Amino acid sequence: MRERLKDNLFRTWIVLSTSLVFIIVVYMFLYIFINGAGTISREFLFSDPKGMPMGSEGGIFPAIVGSLLLMLIACVFASILAISTAIYLVFYCSSERVKRLIHLIIQCMSGVPSIILGLFGYTSLVLHLGLGRSLISGGITLGVMIFPYIQVRVEKTLIEVDKSVVDASYALGVSKVYTLYKLIFPMCKFDIVSAITLAGGFAMGAAAPIILTAAVIFAPVPESIFSPVMALPFHLYILTGEGISLEKAYGTALVLMLILLIINIISALINFTRKEHE
Amino acid sequence: MRKIREKIFEILIKILTAFSVLILAFVVIFIFKESLTFFKEVSIWKFITGRKWNPLGPPEELSILNIICGTVYVSLVGIAIALPIGIGTAVVLSCYTNENIKRLIRGILDILAGVPSVVYGFIGLLVVVKFFEVNFSFASGESVLSGGIVLSVMLLPFIVSTCDESMEKIYREYSQSSRALGVSKGYMIRNILLPASKRSILASVVLALGRGMGETMAVMMVIGNAPIIPRLLGKTQTIPSLIALEMGMAEVGSLHYHALFASGFVLMIMLLIINGLLYFIKNKMDI
Amino acid sequence: MNILEINNLNVSYGSKQVIKNLSMNIEKNKITAIIGPSGCGKSTLLSTLNLMVTENGGSFTGEILFKDKDVLSYEKDHLRRMIGIVFQKPTPFPFSIYKNLTYAPKYYGIKDKNKLNEIVESTLKRVGLYEEIDKDLNMLATKLSGGQQQRLCIGRALTVEPEILLMDEPCSALDRKNTANIEEMLLELSKDYTIVIVTHNLYQAKRISDYTAFILDGELIEYDKTENIFNRPKDDRTKEYIKGIYG
Repeated sequence: MRERLKDNLFRTWIVLSTSLVFIIVVYMFLYIFINGAGTISREFLFSDPKGMPMGSEGGIFPAIVGSLLLMLIACVFASILAISTAIYLVFYCSSERVKRLIHLIIQCMSGVPSIILGLFGYTSLVLHLGLGRSLISGGITLGVMIFPYIQVRVEKTLIEVDKSVVDASYALGVSKVYTLYKLIFPMCKFDIVSAITLAGGFAMGAAAPIILTAAVIFAPVPESIFSPVMALPFHLYILTGEGISLEKAYGTALVLMLILLIINIISALINFTRKEHE
Repeated sequence: MRKIREKIFEILIKILTAFSVLILAFVVIFIFKESLTFFKEVSIWKFITGRKWNPLGPPEELSILNIICGTVYVSLVGIAIALPIGIGTAVVLSCYTNENIKRLIRGILDILAGVPSVVYGFIGLLVVVKFFEVNFSFASGESVLSGGIVLSVMLLPFIVSTCDESMEKIYREYSQSSRALGVSKGYMIRNILLPASKRSILASVVLALGRGMGETMAVMMVIGNAPIIPRLLGKTQTIPSLIALEMGMAEVGSLHYHALFASGFVLMIMLLIINGLLYFIKNKMDI
Repeated sequence: MNILEINNLNVSYGSKQVIKNLSMNIEKNKITAIIGPSGCGKSTLLSTLNLMVTENGGSFTGEILFKDKDVLSYEKDHLRRMIGIVFQKPTPFPFSIYKNLTYAPKYYGIKDKNKLNEIVESTLKRVGLYEEIDKDLNMLATKLSGGQQQRLCIGRALTVEPEILLMDEPCSALDRKNTANIEEMLLELSKDYTIVIVTHNLYQAKRISDYTAFILDGELIEYDKTENIFNRPKDDRTKEYIKGIYG
């Protein structure tokens, strides 16, 4: 009898938990969608913020552009470093100790809070190197943030390449570089691009690293990589925190989520194309 | 000709790898350097045990005990809320669902993990904080509790994924023999699976603690940002939000400026201890 | 004449010694079979001959002479061009058949479309695939059957015009018909190439090889013309091995 009671309580608990997860997700998306849909318009997406205080009217075009550019720079910076490191660890490094050390270091990097990276970016890039609050400072800082994410996935992809196929290539007397370039990369390109895309989404949503390194409350579409920018997550924060415009805030949040959704769909499509290819 | 190309490529790869690895060293070094300037003026002991944070003065007082407590407190509240939900979901994932539903639930958790921190803060402010203000007529709904609630949603995916894998293994191992004894699934889970999962549950708590303490935006927007002794329903401040808020207004090179770096440094030390704990649990502990 | 001379070869992986003091000579344009129970070092021997063993964590002492020159004095990539290897598991590259066969020639600088087409066509004819694939050169190589894939891999190894072809149990993953196809092809090929084939199939060794080497626990027990090994084995261990499987 006691067992029956315990069993029922148990079941209630686990069903409730799982349902709660569903409910939360659905609620969050509906909340943003319903409240924000009304604000989205041609004007909102493509014009500059206006009004007094700034942002209470007009649109968020510079923020959209700023976010996309930041994401681009972060991805380029991080991919070059991450792919190189992955190639080194899988194809050039023969010492187990070195491998373990590098893995440990990268794992530590992924645990550093994004605000600390922002601090680092601020003191080293903005101040020491004198780059100022700019696209490049923010882009590099974001790049450092997503570097471990990309590196881990690219390394995994490279390791999973069938070793016997790689051996067959060496057996033909073909060099390592040629093998990498003509055989391995074509095999891995989908996974690598997918990882970079997802990392880009991750970078786009981050506000903490760019508060100190790139984002300003109001700026035009950047003219060079040394200009400061507006960015969607930061703009959302400002609109809400400064109480400028709730309506525009909902719109900004929705736009941000939609762009992230598109990025995730692109990544899923890439994975789908890969399956087709096989 | 070909040989030269090979060599250049190899050297390039090595340089880029070294550079990437050094960046972490740079991060730590830069933070430490700027903190050191502060610790020359104010002893580290006073810094972490003193209660007054008043950068504007006079007198200028810079101690972060309250803020350290706030950081830990909010995370603990978040874990307290997320843990039961997370374990319950992990149990369902590992013991009650087929492949398709598993993929669905995992997909939903991935979505949760992908929502930007600032969006969580945004919704937290407009929903959670407002809820407290409206229903309980608090003067302000910003509190440790609000922070904990928002944080708990963000921590859910981590807790579930850490527990899910090992629970699945344990379930597969014991479910058949348990069923053969005619015992209900719930009984088996309560008496075999959960106790056997202690290690991963503990690991997930530690992991979540680390993540929670480093969280900036979401928490910052709902806790009120007051560096006072934290109470559950009162305002508080965490180290990440302290840095995010005050860095912009601190004069470069001032003591305040260096104090913010110092608090970042303290945060990193705390996370180091936690990660050490995690490593210990994962590899050395025999529960 | 001897195209390969092996003197006092010892191969180890870490502290484990896999090949012990092995000496033998491989004659040019003949098929040499290497037989022996599993795990006795046959594959390791092959991978030492083209220096792939060092990449898999192994090391060796002793002397290997290819065309009277120490293998170590050759440039590694160049050596591998001259000593080709085909593995047990077919390893087609995930490209089209055409790209599989032009992969190595392109590396060696052949850019002329006509020359490449010629290489592809003649190679396919050589391994008997030309009719079978019915001109569909752009078909993904992984869509071929196991036997066809293996023949493709053999063809691919031929595109670099090696002098020796090492084969590590090339037919063990294939059915009888495909095995017969490949055996026939090897007999044809031995007119122009030297073939060293590791096999656990004694019937195969007897069928196609001119010389047979019996290896047990990393040691060369007996090495002679094939008909001598099978009809008049000198060592007791050889006798036992052959009797046990061949009957």
